Amino acid sequence: MTGNEPPVLEGGARPDLSVVAPLYNEAENVRALVDWIVEALAEYPGTVEIILVDDGSQDGTWAQVVEAATDPQVRGLRLGRNVGQTAAMMAGFDHAKGGVVVSLDGDLQNDPRDIPALVAKLDEGYELVCGWRQRRQDGFLLRKVPSWVANRIIRRLTGVPITDNGCSLKAYRRDLLTRISLYAEQHRFIPALSASVGARITEMPVRHHARRFGKSKYGISRTVKVLADLLTLKMITTFRSRPLLGFAAASAVPLGASLVFGVLWLIALTQFGPAKARALVFPTAGLLALGTALYLFMLGLAAEVALRSEQETLNSTPTAWEVR
Amino acid sequence: MTAKGVLQEPVGAPMTTASSPGSHGTVSVVVPVVERMDDLVAVYHAFARELEQRGEAFEFIFVFDGGFTPPPELVERSREVLGVHLFRFAQRFGETAALRLGIERSRGDVILTLPAYFQVRPEGLGPLLDAVANGADLAVACRSPRQDNWINRLQSRAFHKMLGGLSGQRFRDIACGVRAIRRPVAETLPLYGDMHRFIPAIALREGFEVTEVAVPQHASDVQMRLYGPGVYLRRLLDIATFFFLAKFTEKPLRFFGLVGSMFLSVGGAISLYLLIDRLAGQAIANRPLLLLGVLLIALGVQLIGLGLVGEIIVHLRSPHRRAYRVREQI
Repeated sequence: MTGNEPPVLEGGARPDLSVVAPLYNEAENVRALVDWIVEALAEYPGTVEIILVDDGSQDGTWAQVVEAATDPQVRGLRLGRNVGQTAAMMAGFDHAKGGVVVSLDGDLQNDPRDIPALVAKLDEGYELVCGWRQRRQDGFLLRKVPSWVANRIIRRLTGVPITDNGCSLKAYRRDLLTRISLYAEQHRFIPALSASVGARITEMPVRHHARRFGKSKYGISRTVKVLADLLTLKMITTFRSRPLLGFAAASAVPLGASLVFGVLWLIALTQFGPAKARALVFPTAGLLALGTALYLFMLGLAAEVALRSEQETLNSTPTAWEVR
Repeated sequence: MTAKGVLQEPVGAPMTTASSPGSHGTVSVVVPVVERMDDLVAVYHAFARELEQRGEAFEFIFVFDGGFTPPPELVERSREVLGVHLFRFAQRFGETAALRLGIERSRGDVILTLPAYFQVRPEGLGPLLDAVANGADLAVACRSPRQDNWINRLQSRAFHKMLGGLSGQRFRDIACGVRAIRRPVAETLPLYGDMHRFIPAIALREGFEVTEVAVPQHASDVQMRLYGPGVYLRRLLDIATFFFLAKFTEKPLRFFGLVGSMFLSVGGAISLYLLIDRLAGQAIANRPLLLLGVLLIALGVQLIGLGLVGEIIVHLRSPHRRAYRVREQI
């Protein structure tokens, strides 16, 4: 239902480095964050812009951003409503003009002093450098364990060897950001999505601090949703251009099951006759499995159709004539 | 949803600076003629007079859905006066399509949508336009005080309660056809299908500023409204659609996957139970429960597959689509 188009950046000065920080109810942290970033980048040889994205905060974050924006390096974006971290980051990326873009959390948990090292690493020929939080200052059971499990699954599923997918502190080449578009809650999957468009990726250790002010906006409930997102990730990273292949592979399982049922049914039929065979094998299960296999295959075809006809037909207006 | 052809000329400065009443720029009154049509000439005169008295520059755009004929007097009027435009659809396309066309063909800074009958009293337009001039992106009229009988009020209450419960948005009269919308907002609102009843809710979801303005109800709007069961069913479906779209447009698998995995796990539990029975030596092949278990597993797999197709479609659109809207930029 959201049909906003990405913005077109006008010309103007292009800084060398854009630092993007999404903020949701971080009024107490804005000032300190900006000061910290400015201080950390004092030695940085190029020009810098800091983009603060207020993701529909209700606690006066925007007033703080406006105050911080008296510094000419600082720009502010205020979103119409709370859209979540991924979309807020995307807003920052869309408006960033730097050749190199760095993202970090707005809650002071990432350390801006790591930025120069990340950017230097990028210059070694990478398009994405991911931070890897050392000595994570978060709750063990609710944050670290689920995160460890999720990272392992992501690594297994996508084959992208990044240890800490959840760390917001990352450095990107601008070119990469024009090739991936993040939505829903995909900020966790940036390395995998980047790899799927052919980016060179590496990671390096970064510092991590406990929250100073405010409360964490995450809980354990998100872990359940991450599973659905992982399945999606697999689908769109591996089968984006050939969805039929993915669905055909999935339909192999019920197809195999139906074959087994069929063969068993035939054996039972020839050995014991129809009445006994019905009691031994359940042929309906085989038929349902066959139906499911066919259905999945057809879905794959439907996905191919969607791929080919990408135009948006919903928004067309019927014709009308003017009465004169 | 952009204006096409000759109409695509600039329509003046953005409205944010206007604050005193009577300085809204031009107002485009869009009247979709669908379902019910009263004396349109009377409607036109009553509201035009009100706008004139307020010193507004305005135009009227009537969009006739298939099956409605413009009254000859109005056609006459459109020939005499520059600011009256009539459009006709050859088939029935409904209110949303009519609104879209009206918005595309209008050129005012503020779009004022008006039903083709007296829903509110003309003097209510003032506060509505003022609300938009004072910074709201969309102002929807709230018929108040409501003079309807208890049946109307009860069904309206139920509708809004349900909508509020599902979406968390508190509106009192969301389906009122009288709304003032700033032009850039009207042009970006995704309007399709049967969603015109939810325009304020959609605008709120899109991150626009929406207000309700109390406007006196017109006497001829006060009538018993009892519909066939099909209409109520359609309203329920509308709410369900709105809720589903608002929540899962970006992540269809979260929905289909949830329902699908519920089916899968119930089906799996049934099958497991039967397997244990079978191993204990009981015959299970002729038990209906077996069919249910297998059917649920098959359905679960299919639902998850559907969700994945949805995800592919969403992914394909993602380069052109953003969930956020920037309200302010410094």
